[in-house]
Parts: sequence; C-alpha cells; structure tokens
Amino acid sequence: MKHFGWQWLVVSSLSFGALLINVGSAETRPQYGGTVHVAMREAPMSLDPSDTTQADSFARRNLLALIFETLVTVDDRGRVHPGLAADWQAGPGDQRWQFHLRQGVKFHDGSPLTAEIAASSLRTANPSWKVFAEGDSLIVERDQADADLPAELGLTRNSIVKKNGGGKLSGTGPFHIEDWQPGKKLTLAAEENHWRGRGFVDAIEVEMGKNFREQLNELELGRADLVEVVPEQGHRVAMEGGRVSSSQPMELVALAFSSDPKTADEKLIRSALAHSIDRSSMKSVLLQGAGQPAASLLPNWMSGYGFVFSTDVDLKEARHERDQVRDQIRTAANWTVGYDANDSAARVLVERVALNAKDAGLGLQPTTAATSDLRLVRIPLASADPWIALYNVAETLGMAMPKASGELVEDLYPAEAALLAGQRVIPLFHLPAEYATSPVLNDWRPAADGSWRLDEVWVERDRP
Amino acid sequence: MMFRRKLLAVFALTVFLSVAGVAWLVSEVTRRAFVHSDDERTTALLTQFRREFNRQGDDIERRVEAIAGSEAVNRMALALSHAPVDSGPYFELAKSAAENNQLDFLEFAESDGTIVSSAQWPAKFGYPDEAFGSFSGASGQGAFLKQEPVQEGTALGLFAVRATRVGDRPVYVIGGRRLDKNFLLALDLPAGMRALLYQNRSDHFSTDLLINPSTSSADKEYSPAQLEPLIDAVRQYGQEMTAVVAWSGNQADDEAFHAIPLWGVGAGKDRPLLAILLIGNSRRTYVELKRHIRSAALLVGAGGIVLAIVLSSWAAARVTRPVEQLARAAQEVAAGNWNARVEVSGEDELALLADSFNQMTAELLGQKERLVQAERVAAWRELARRLAHELKNPLFPLQLTVENLVRARQQSPEQFDEVFRESSRTLLAEISNLKGIIGRFSEFSKMPPPQLQLVQVNDVMRGVAKLFQAQLEAPGRAKVSCALQLDPLLEPLAADAELMHRAISNLVLNAMDAMPMGGTLTLRTRGESGKVLIEVADTGSGLTTEECERIFTPYYTSKQHGTGLGLAIVQSVVSDHGGRIRVESEPGQGTTFVIELQRGWDSSRS
Repeated sequence: MKHFGWQWLVVSSLSFGALLINVGSAETRPQYGGTVHVAMREAPMSLDPSDTTQADSFARRNLLALIFETLVTVDDRGRVHPGLAADWQAGPGDQRWQFHLRQGVKFHDGSPLTAEIAASSLRTANPSWKVFAEGDSLIVERDQADADLPAELGLTRNSIVKKNGGGKLSGTGPFHIEDWQPGKKLTLAAEENHWRGRGFVDAIEVEMGKNFREQLNELELGRADLVEVVPEQGHRVAMEGGRVSSSQPMELVALAFSSDPKTADEKLIRSALAHSIDRSSMKSVLLQGAGQPAASLLPNWMSGYGFVFSTDVDLKEARHERDQVRDQIRTAANWTVGYDANDSAARVLVERVALNAKDAGLGLQPTTAATSDLRLVRIPLASADPWIALYNVAETLGMAMPKASGELVEDLYPAEAALLAGQRVIPLFHLPAEYATSPVLNDWRPAADGSWRLDEVWVERDRP
Repeated sequence: MMFRRKLLAVFALTVFLSVAGVAWLVSEVTRRAFVHSDDERTTALLTQFRREFNRQGDDIERRVEAIAGSEAVNRMALALSHAPVDSGPYFELAKSAAENNQLDFLEFAESDGTIVSSAQWPAKFGYPDEAFGSFSGASGQGAFLKQEPVQEGTALGLFAVRATRVGDRPVYVIGGRRLDKNFLLALDLPAGMRALLYQNRSDHFSTDLLINPSTSSADKEYSPAQLEPLIDAVRQYGQEMTAVVAWSGNQADDEAFHAIPLWGVGAGKDRPLLAILLIGNSRRTYVELKRHIRSAALLVGAGGIVLAIVLSSWAAARVTRPVEQLARAAQEVAAGNWNARVEVSGEDELALLADSFNQMTAELLGQKERLVQAERVAAWRELARRLAHELKNPLFPLQLTVENLVRARQQSPEQFDEVFRESSRTLLAEISNLKGIIGRFSEFSKMPPPQLQLVQVNDVMRGVAKLFQAQLEAPGRAKVSCALQLDPLLEPLAADAELMHRAISNLVLNAMDAMPMGGTLTLRTRGESGKVLIEVADTGSGLTTEECERIFTPYYTSKQHGTGLGLAIVQSVVSDHGGRIRVESEPGQGTTFVIELQRGWDSSRS
C-alpha cells in the first residue's frame, strides 16, 4: 500500500507537470476568434481602391489590403510574388503581359473571380491601359516597354474590385465588409473560404478620424489593440514598456513647392532654404530620434545611394546663396509654408524650418491655409520597389518623371537626381510607420514596408 | 408795448429762465455726479485690474516655482549640468508642464539663455531667448510683463522666472500667461465699461495691436484708429491719461478712455513700455440722461410758458384791469368828460389809486365849475366893460349934443334950429353907431351851426385873397402884399365854406390891422397826418405872451376901435368844425394864426 502510494504520487506529479506544460504551450498557440480593434487618423470616405480623391496612407492601404487583393504582391524588398495571378509572362519588349488567374478564388459575394471582372477593375483604375480578358488569362498591353508592370500591379489602387449593383464593393481579401460608416467606422469579418485560408480573428473593427493622442488613449484604456503613433509617442510608449513596432522609413517628409522655380534668383533662394535646414536637430528633438534625415526622395535602404545627397546644414552656403540674390527678390521672398493643421509633428517641423530659414535670412511664414508657396508633405512610398516608389512620388508631387535610360537600379540615381535638380521638392526625412499594440495582440509582425498582415495575428480571448 | 403784454412777457421770461436755470442746475449736478461716478468706477476697475494682475502674478509665480522644484526639472538640470545639451529628452517637457500648470508660456533655458524646451514655440529649442538678459535677474522676484516672441509674432504676457540650481549651471524656468482677450474678459466689468489692451510693439500706432475683447457688432463699425491720439500721448509722456473718444456723430456713442501705461522689466528709461491698458467708460448713460433732462426741461419749460401765459394773462388782466380803467377814465377826462369815474374794488394800491383818481376828477370838476363861473363872471365883467366902453363913447356925444340942444334952446333960441339940425345929425350918427355895436354883438350871438360839405380849403383861401386884394392894394394905405402858399395835394374836407371864408376873412382883417405900415400877408395850407393846417401870417409888430393868451377871449381887443369879437368868432367857427386855433407870435416878429382841422371830422360827434 505504501509502495502504491509512492508510485501514485510520482505518476500524479508527472501528470500534473505534463498538464502544466500543455497549458503553457497552449498560451503561445494561435487562437481563432476575437476582434481586433484598430484606431487610425485617416478618415476615408470611400473604400474603392481606385478612388484617387482619398488621401493615401499606410493605414488606408492596409485596410484595403484586408478586403481587396492584387494580382501580384510586392514584398518589403521589392520582390514580386503571385497574388490573384498564379503566374505571368511578358511578351517581347515587355509591352504585352499575360497574367494567369488563380483558380478557385471567389469574391465575398460568392461569385468566382474571372478575367473579365479583373480586366474591368484594372481598366477602371488605369484608364490609359489596354486590358482585356483572354480565357482565364488577363492581358495588359502598354504603349511602351514596362518591365515594372507586375510591381505596379501590386499597388493597392490596382486591387481587383467587383462593383455590384448600388455601388457595393466586393473583394477577394481575407476579410469582408460587415459594416461601413464612411469616415467613422469599419467593421470587417473574417472570410471563411479565403483561398489562403481563414484568418485567426473573427473581426476587425476600425475607428477612423482619431488623432494620435486619442489613439494612444484608446490603446492605454484597452479599447484599441493597434494604433498609429508618432515618433515622440513611440519613444514614450517604448520607455514605459509598451509594444511599439515600426517599419522601414517608408514615408517621405518633404517641402514641396507649388511650382517650378521661374528665375535664377528663385533657384538660389530655394537652394539657400535647402542648405539652411538643420535636419539632425529636428531628428534628435522633434522626431525623438526616429526616421532618417533625407536629402533624397527614396530612402537609402531602398535605393542604396541615399547617402550621396548631403543632409548637413550649411548656413554659410545658405547665406552666400541668399546674398547673391537681388535685394528686391530677397525682400519679396517671404514664402508661406503650409502644413496639415491636424498634424502636430508637421507643425513643429515647419516652425523649425522657418527658424532655420530665418538664420539664413529667409522669411518663411507657417500657415494652415490650403494654398501656400510651399507645403510640408508626407508621402507614403507606394512600394518597396524603388522605381514604383519614385514614379509615385513624382506623380504625387506633380513632377514629370525623367525618362530613364534603363530599368536597373543604376539607372535610378540619375532619374532621382534629375527630379531633385528641378528644385520642386526639398526632402527632409524618411519616417517609418510606427504602431503601438496592446498585449493581447499576438504575432503582430508588420512588414518592413509597413504592411499590417492582420490576417496572421490572433488575440487572446481573455482580454485583460 | 401794452402793459399787459409787458407783464405777460416778464412772467413768461421769468418762468422760462427759472426752468432753464433748474435744468442747467440739474444737468450740471448730473454731470458732476456722473464724472464722480465715472472716476469711482474707473478707480474701482483699476484696483480690480491691479488686484487681478497681482493675483495672476502670484499664481504664475507659484506655478513656476512648483515647476522649477519638480523632479523632472531637477533631473533635467542635473543632466544638463554634466553633459552636452541634448534637448531631445525634454522636447515635450515644457509643453506638458505648461499644460499641467495651466500656463500659456513656459520655457526652460540654460544659464546663457539658450532654450532647452519651449511650450509656446516648441521648435525654438537650441535658439537663444533674445530678452533673457533683461529678465534673468528677476529670478526669485515677482511677476513682470514681457513681450514673448512666438511663431505668429509677439505676445504680451505676465511672466515669472525661477532658477533651478543643480550643479554649476542653473536652469531657468520662465513661465507666464497671455495678457489677451481672455485676461480682459476675466475682468468683472460694470455695465457700460470695457477694457482694451494696446500692445506697444511698433513705433507707429496700428489697429492690429489693439486687443478688444468686445464682440458687439457696434464695435465693428467703430474705427479703433480714433484711439491713436490717446495712445500716442501715453507713449510720448509715459503717464496715465484720459480722453473722450467720439466714435460717431452721436454723442451717446462717446466713450471716455483712461489709459494706463504697463511697463516691462527695467529701470528708469530702460524700462520698456510694453502695453497700454485702456479702460473705456461709455457716456451713453450720461448723454441719454442729459438728453432726458433737456427734453424734460424743454417740456416743462414749454408747459411752464403756456401756463405762464395763461396765468400771467389772468394775473395781468387782474392787475391791469383797474389800470386800464384808470387809463380809460384819464382819457375821458382828457377828452373833456370830467364826470369820468373809476370803479373802486378792494383795498390794494390800485384801489387807492382809483379812489385818488376819482377824488382828483371830482376836485378838477369842482375847480372847472369854479373856473367857469369865474370866467363867466369875468366875461360878464368884460362884456359889461366893453358894453360900457362901447356905449359910453356914443353916449357921451349924445349927452353933449342933447345938453348942447338944451343950452341952445335956453341960451340961443335963434340958433336952435341950426344947432338942432347939427345935433340931430350927430345924434343920428351916434345912434347909428350904437346900432352897429348892438348889431355886431347880435351877430356874434347868432353864429349859425356849420353846414358841412366837401370843401377845397385852397379854393376858400384863394377866394379870401381875391376878396381882400383890392383893399390890400388900396391907395392911401401902406402896401400889403399877399403870398399864397397852398398845398396842391391837399384833399377836400368836410366844412362849411361860408363860415370858413368868414373866419379866414376875420384873420386877414386882423392881419391887415396888424400891418399899418405895410408888409406881407401869407396864406398857407398844408396837410399833416390826417390834419389840414391853415395858416394866416403877417409881418406886423407881433404880440406879447399875455396878448397871445387872451387874444381869443370875447370882447378882448388890443385895437383902438375893435370890438374883441373878430377872433372870438374865428375861434367859434373853428371849434364848430372840431378843430382848434392857436397863435404863434413874438413882439416884432409878426403873428401867425394856425387853424388845425381834422380831415375825417364828423360834425355829429361835436
């Protein structure tokens, strides 16, 4: 009896230990169900990817990517992967491209993805393109060689959208629209039969139009699981032990002029302004060390040559250039610098730029007015593909993209240098997209290009 | 002007002046009371402003001191004391501390004035505070005014400075609050008062620098530029001043402003004039009150004048009625009605006057009767004397003739017949003379009443001249020339032509008698204010004053053989025509008889 008791004790202990191990391992295992609560600053009024009237942002792109999918995807190194297209091939001269659609993909309304629907969607997004269906394939014909067409098709605006009666949109993404209050709230539900498999969470609720402070408050109050943060917030959250993640510097912060310089004097003044800006103090204080000072449009990690463009302040050169300008021009050059009134970081950046400019003898007046001589802009780089990103920046700023001599990275530098030589833009920083997440959000691994990948996260059911 | 009207005017003027005087007095008292009230309110507001200013200053001091003593600032001071300045960790510190302590301005600065963190201008880290040298010495002292550069320009604020000393390099905490609309709105102003603040940031006046918390629509219509003279004066002399600003043509919109200079940190002339507090006090209440008083005064004045007219009419009538009765009675007396009487009522001075008047007229009437009696006696005596004289002259020859006849009968009967014939002629002549005398007296007594008809006086004058022309030029007597000076514009008048001819003829006869040595007889007519003047002038020896007084008395004559009835008849005729006759003469200067006849005379009135 005594022997049996000792054995029973050993077996019981081992069994309890095994149970504890199982319980421990169960905590790290993904769970289905639950709702992820997201807060974002942008307040899009439309979910149509081809609607160019809506401001571009990482948050909007990521939201749309949950609902709609593209023929191809571009990873954070700029490499193209199959999406709704299983494979593709280019014709001679890279003018005619044929994409073979993935079989068995269905829209959220249950209808199958067809080449005709895909062609119609792409024609809507790119009216100048010649797109048509050919069996199960999709044919895209361009006027000239376009080696980057697959990467371009990975842009959000080229998502495949089926427009049903009444303007209702239907996609093929891992989540479908459950409730949509334009500009306020979006509720997404997991698509059970997604071709890549169902996501872990049942739903995603997105609160829109929340400024950064409100978002952080929501996070701290446990009402949001994923929020955007600005650098100084991210620094504080991290200091306080919070979970902060950031992408590669994917957002260009720059001063954009409303027009090309008209005179040599104006060029000198623009150059003097560019030389007067002390980016390093802005980064260390205003951005709390986040981001990268930039004098180029593309970040160094993307182009590899960003360091060539000097970001150092050169007040001596700035004053010298200013002194070369005729007095009457110099006096008249009292520019207004516009910024987004809802963007507190933009305000201090502009104010600092004005102070720096004053050191060089230039007058800049910050303003929140819609029109101004130059404006602080934030341009989320469209793709990790440098060519696509550069094209998109040029298009956003209204600059004509110089004709590239080739499609190689070596050809990228002269193209970007030519854009910068036009003096329409003064790059300031490349900022990462930063997010703070709640402790219940697991497997949150945003991509280097800022993609959310919310279909891979899961939440613990017992929220703290 | 009639006495009654004068009385009325005096009464009305008295009432008007009284009301005007009272209105002026009330207006003046009101003005003084308003000025006194205005001074009191301004003083109270100033006291309140200073109390609020000091309270805010104390509050800012406490908050800045609390920030300077906070753990975060001490850690920052410690970090900055032994490491190169890195503003990064403190970028948000000033802003959050300012928000927590309800400050509009907060900066952390190094000992050289370099800004480490700024709440009001976050981008200004690393830049020096230009005014640091002027106020760094105020650390530990009270609050002070300061113009703070901000992104939008410059803002006026109430500041306090405290230093946190950890290690060798102190960190200055400079905090403050804006002196802006909110500050002014926080002042509890009485109705009709307001406070404005002019920020003295420019050498020249600018309306953009004026902080006006008022949002009334009326303010938008007013040009703040009208405050420029007052603000310029305060800037020039650096002392409190007062001025009334007329915002519009309406006096009710006027506003009295008391301007108070607000100085910054410094000593003497180095102390900058940072702002001017303008305390406005609307004069609307005063002006409207003054208008009300004026309206009331005008109303009361007008009513008073009307009342005065009514009352003074009644009073004047009451006072002047006896006087008018007296005047009428006096006029009647003057017109010859000696029986005129005034009704005596009451016992006042007017009653006494009326009684005296009645006594006077009674006495005058008595005197007149006595005079008439005396004159009548005198006239009878004169008549008797004249009759005796006239009759004595023919009677004496008659007596002598009869005595001569008797004597001749007795003594010379032979000569009696001749004497009788002679005496008979004499007796007849004297009897004829007596008849003539009696006839003239009879004629005087039988003067007929005038038969009036329209008569051209000039024609009468010409007729008389023509009648006497032969006599005037008769040989054997000194020549008398006749001059006719007749008014050609003389209009006809109602008169008896025959009587007038007779009267003027008598005057001409009289004139001829007055010029035995010859001379000039002038017959003159002229019209004069409703009258017709007829003049008969001679160049004779003239009359004495006594003769002039008695010359119209019947039976008075200065001539040897006159009856004394000629001029009496003339006076009678003139009197019967409602006119009067006077004589103008001096001895040796000739004599002029002037007959005045009324042109519109009606004989029935006589």
